[in-house]
Amino acid sequence: MSNTETTLRAEGVRRGARPSPAGLPAGTASAGGRQVLEARGLQKTYHKAQVAIPVLRGVDFRVEPGEFVAIVGQSGSGKSTLLHLLGTLDAPAAGEIWFDGQRIDNLPVRQRDRLRTNTFGMIFQFYHLLPELSTLENVLAPRMIASGVLSYWRARRKHQRDAAELLEKVGLGHRLKHRPRELSGGEMQRTAIARALVNRPSLLLADEPTGNLDHATGREIIRLLRTLNATEGLTIVMVTHDESIAAQADRIVRLVDGLVQAA
Amino acid sequence: MYKLLLCWRYLRTRYIALASIISVMLGVATMIVVNAVMAGFTHEMQDRIHGVLADVVFESRNLNEGFFDPDWHMDRIREVAGDDIEAMTPTVIVPAMLNFEYRHQTVTRPVQLIGIDEKLGSVAGEFGKYLQHPENRKQLSFELRESGYDTKDHQRATAASRPQMADGGWVHRRRWGEVQRARRQFEAEIKREEAENQRLKAELATPEAAAAAAAIVNPDAHAAPEGAELSSLEGDAPGAAPTAPAAGSAAVADESPTGDLEAENPFGSRDTPQHVYDPCLEQSTGAIMGIAISCYRAPNGDDGFLLLPGDDVSLTFPTVGRPPKGIDDVFTVVDFWESKMSQFDESFVFVPLRKLQELRGMIDPRTNIGCATAIQIKVKPGVDGTVVRDKLRHAFAIEAYNVSTWRDKEGALLAAVQLETAILNILLFLIIAVAGFGILAIFFMIVVEKTRDIGILKALGASGRGIQGIFLGYGMSLGIVGSGVGLIGGLLFVYYINEIADILGYITGQEVFDPAIYYFDKIPAIVYPATVTWIVLGALTIAIMASILPARRAARLHPVEALRYE
Repeated sequence: MSNTETTLRAEGVRRGARPSPAGLPAGTASAGGRQVLEARGLQKTYHKAQVAIPVLRGVDFRVEPGEFVAIVGQSGSGKSTLLHLLGTLDAPAAGEIWFDGQRIDNLPVRQRDRLRTNTFGMIFQFYHLLPELSTLENVLAPRMIASGVLSYWRARRKHQRDAAELLEKVGLGHRLKHRPRELSGGEMQRTAIARALVNRPSLLLADEPTGNLDHATGREIIRLLRTLNATEGLTIVMVTHDESIAAQADRIVRLVDGLVQAA
Repeated sequence: MYKLLLCWRYLRTRYIALASIISVMLGVATMIVVNAVMAGFTHEMQDRIHGVLADVVFESRNLNEGFFDPDWHMDRIREVAGDDIEAMTPTVIVPAMLNFEYRHQTVTRPVQLIGIDEKLGSVAGEFGKYLQHPENRKQLSFELRESGYDTKDHQRATAASRPQMADGGWVHRRRWGEVQRARRQFEAEIKREEAENQRLKAELATPEAAAAAAAIVNPDAHAAPEGAELSSLEGDAPGAAPTAPAAGSAAVADESPTGDLEAENPFGSRDTPQHVYDPCLEQSTGAIMGIAISCYRAPNGDDGFLLLPGDDVSLTFPTVGRPPKGIDDVFTVVDFWESKMSQFDESFVFVPLRKLQELRGMIDPRTNIGCATAIQIKVKPGVDGTVVRDKLRHAFAIEAYNVSTWRDKEGALLAAVQLETAILNILLFLIIAVAGFGILAIFFMIVVEKTRDIGILKALGASGRGIQGIFLGYGMSLGIVGSGVGLIGGLLFVYYINEIADILGYITGQEVFDPAIYYFDKIPAIVYPATVTWIVLGALTIAIMASILPARRAARLHPVEALRYE
């Protein structure tokens, strides 16, 4: 598999090359190293008891590499749905999503899985850590998913070192063996961030990362995201309903009734 | 990797899964135990049946007259399948009626009379093992032994004792013979008295003496038996020769036939006049009887006997003439035969082949060649009896001869046991299937409980196949652990089955395995690795099948909906 050289500047994580998104041949990546994320006319409708509820009604927007974008909108404005579509967790009813010069919304399941593992990182409002695993194991989970049993086992020391360094970086070096339920909300979210970063993604999708945290902790998390964006050039798309949080981003995209409001 | 990790974590944190592990375990353990015990029983039974029957039996379809010249047949058989055959012996098998006197009553029993060669031991391998006299076990003989019959079942350590057998042999026979002698003398005396009475009656029949004599003679007649009894107890036979035998003396007994002759001749005894058979001195043709024909269990747990070695019995059986006539002859019990298969023990009586042939008229008087109804064949070790059977079936006319292996002969019994095993297996496998449904239910619960985690894993890029793998692996682990523990538990149970039966017996106060009922000393158990493998594989398959549905459901969960699940 040919590699697209990308420049992720995570000090503790910079190790070798990463496969191109979706593992497609490098030649098809028309945008070259510019990993632009673009939504074109995205539509999504939910059906509830045979009543179609349109959530997204043609969303167009573009995220430049290294940008920190906040998507802001009322509850029910479709911002979470948009994030799920961008993260290929869901398929749009109409419209296209392009990333790194490829259309990704209609990729085969396996390639979308690989994209989520290797290229995208996701964090959620409710942290979504696996309760049976320790902090370290939670962070290692994407690594385990990315590699087979044997190759993982062979490189397990390196993986563990990487994960421990990442946790150190988000300030959880002393919590490696703890279970999620023994952590505070902020610690859980930081664990989730470390997990999202462990496979050195180029894009971080954050779904209300501060929604379940008090103000001070929320600000710490945003500060952490800012730092990552600033020092490592990590592209971040964050969904929030909190204007003060959104204000921390480079750019704000407002979603009103399933459409992007002109800035 | 995450699959293994999560699998392991779920296994360790979901104790509800233990319930299904335990049910798989119990199912596997029970199946192993039941199969081992059934296999043990079957094996033991086959051993016993095979100990009695030869590997291959070559029979005439005419079971009464049999076929002429067994030697010629054996030569032919040797020509056909000589390489596979180790030994052969002809036999004659006829139904017969056994009767003997027990406490002055005649007891009759239907039996299977089998004329055997003394070579039989080399054909039906275990035949000798089942005899009660140690010498007979070494060398089969139809001669009555002096004494020394086992007073305990030699085949079993904890068997009932048989105190009466201590008397068996010539010791018993002589004692019995003397009673016979005394009885004969007594009977002779009664006859003599009766004749005397008749004579007197005839004399008194003249009118002039009748009235007076009637009062005198009648009391005499009543008194006569008492007098006879007294004299017989004294060992003094009135009216016999002066040398009439004193009790128990063999030297004197030499002359007793003449004494008896003198006593009985005038009154037309049934015995042939030339020779009077005296049990004190001689035996009839020997007969080895199945032990259950005359054995009973005494209340104190000992075995009692209606007959002992040394007793005479009478056997009635058909001759080969047309139409067959029943003839009877006296045989002397020389030993008992105990195969522990009750159906054989209560019907087989073995007598010398030649004698039986003679009595039944099966020997051609001109050529002195006999007939036999069957030839018992022992095949060489490692040779399959069915091969020999098929060769012989091919070579001999099927209309006249029936060739069967010992398995064919006891096919119904063996099939019954096999059927029983099969039914038990089906029932027990259903138990494991029930355990499988338990796994299914528990897994659905776990999948529902883990819906959000499944969503998380999918969001992290885990494939549906991978998620499925977690739950399949989980199910397989349950199966492996359950059947592994069940395997070990079952094998331990089988290994200590007799100890466990003892303990259970001790606790419940009721003997779990009564050797008297089953004829086995211990619970027989054989573990066949193949059976065990099948059981474990079956349990694993069920565990995996039961986890497939929940695993597929988990794999199909939509990541967004799973993430939203609270």
